[in-house]
Amino acid sequence: MKQNEEETKKRYAMVVELKKCFNCKGCVVACRAENKVPLPISRNWIDESGVRGRYPFLGMTFEPAACNHCEDPPCERVCPTGATFRSPEGIVLVDNRKCVGCKYCILACPYDARSVNHRDRVIEKCTFCRHRLPEGRTPACVSTCMGHARHFGDILDPNSEVSRLLAEKDRYVKKKEAGTRPAFYYVY
Amino acid sequence: MEMFDWGWLIVIYLFFGGLGAGAYFVSGLATYLGNATTYRSIARWGAYLAPFPIIIGSGILIFDLFRPWNFYRLFLTIQFTSPMSIGSWILMVFSGVSLINAFLWVPRETKERLFSRKRVKKWKGLVDWSWKPGTQERLRNVFAAMGLPLSAGVALYTGILLGAIPARPFWNTPMLAQLFLFSGLSTGTAAVIILTSFTRDHALTGDQDAKLLYTLDILLICLEMLIIVPFLLHAYLATASIQNSLQLILGGPYTLLFWGVVVLGGLLIPLLVEIYEIYPMVFKKHMHHSRALEVASGILVLVGGLTLRYVFVFGGQLSAFDPKVASLGLGMP
Repeated sequence: MKQNEEETKKRYAMVVELKKCFNCKGCVVACRAENKVPLPISRNWIDESGVRGRYPFLGMTFEPAACNHCEDPPCERVCPTGATFRSPEGIVLVDNRKCVGCKYCILACPYDARSVNHRDRVIEKCTFCRHRLPEGRTPACVSTCMGHARHFGDILDPNSEVSRLLAEKDRYVKKKEAGTRPAFYYVY
Repeated sequence: MEMFDWGWLIVIYLFFGGLGAGAYFVSGLATYLGNATTYRSIARWGAYLAPFPIIIGSGILIFDLFRPWNFYRLFLTIQFTSPMSIGSWILMVFSGVSLINAFLWVPRETKERLFSRKRVKKWKGLVDWSWKPGTQERLRNVFAAMGLPLSAGVALYTGILLGAIPARPFWNTPMLAQLFLFSGLSTGTAAVIILTSFTRDHALTGDQDAKLLYTLDILLICLEMLIIVPFLLHAYLATASIQNSLQLILGGPYTLLFWGVVVLGGLLIPLLVEIYEIYPMVFKKHMHHSRALEVASGILVLVGGLTLRYVFVFGGQLSAFDPKVASLGLGMP
């Protein structure tokens, strides 16, 4: 039992290397296929900076985004039934048996990462592909990423890929001022 | 993703919540001021009105849920960090208490007629009990005392529900809860003004009951304006995201509704009408009697209150920390 607890002490996080993302939207498609998310909603998306700079020194960056799996999630705080919860590994999930569908969480999310799935009548959000993790597989968006921009792993493990990336490179999280402490990092 | 996750039904529910709470508040106040003849019609009509908007509003709320079959889950738990969870419980208690209060104000003859049918005859003891000398007055006072904090809580909650979301800067100011509180109490008072304008007996009360209602409503409207001014000032002097969200009412889609219907039509004009009606009371013992004016000012306050909630529910959902692209914290690659 003790050993089991040791093993489950994980904190999953996503790290995106912005230089390697070229907006192929493979992650968006892979997520839709893996999690059977109906159009027009999506669990993840890519924000574009638009063209920046001055000719001929032009550039463009892409910021893939989804649920930030915050350490202090506003969606969990406002949920009236406790349907939204954080798993021991730090994944923010919805227990559909408890969800009344008040949509308070959708409004409370500073990242607009939740949406209404009319087909299944559930609140849709990223789960870090929790069903794949016990099999040792990474989330669908990570395993499909052609530019190897996406990385997924345990940040409590100092030897993991994500820990190394976060230690080596400059990083930021979205809307830090919201005080949500996201587990979704961007490195340059 | 839809543009608005909360729609008209939430607007109506928040309006009804404030209305019912306000009606109970006025009724409780009138009961507490005592004087059996003067304030009786206010206390009675307020008590009759209070439960129904709240119960209808709660029904609307359940109907508006995306997964309504799970609604009972709201009452299997209390989440102390969720205004909606606490609000659901307050609404439940309020519905029960205000229903009992309304029953206490039903005249004896009506009650006896109600309980004379065979099937409900066994409850007839309730009528006699609640009508024992002393008991009834005491009970009414107890329920009035419960009603004052409870109704203030309901009206306040309708504002806190929106105000507790940092992700929507237009809502997330400390003034919103008070604005909704005073607006809710004002709409409740206005509804009681409309109802009692048909039943008031000028000769019996010497217009003292009207004076109470109008004074209260004038006070509440002034308080609302004293909230709106600092709301605008505070927002203008706050962080960029709150400042930007203010553009919704200062040169955006909701400018006309906010300034035209809420501020001018729902606050200033009724305020002037009510002052016009009541000011002769200062010098003489009567007021300007005009049922048309009374009903008109009441309706204006109600429309203003409804529009206020419309502007905030819909406008707030358009507000966000900052535009999406600006969140790219990137330099040149």
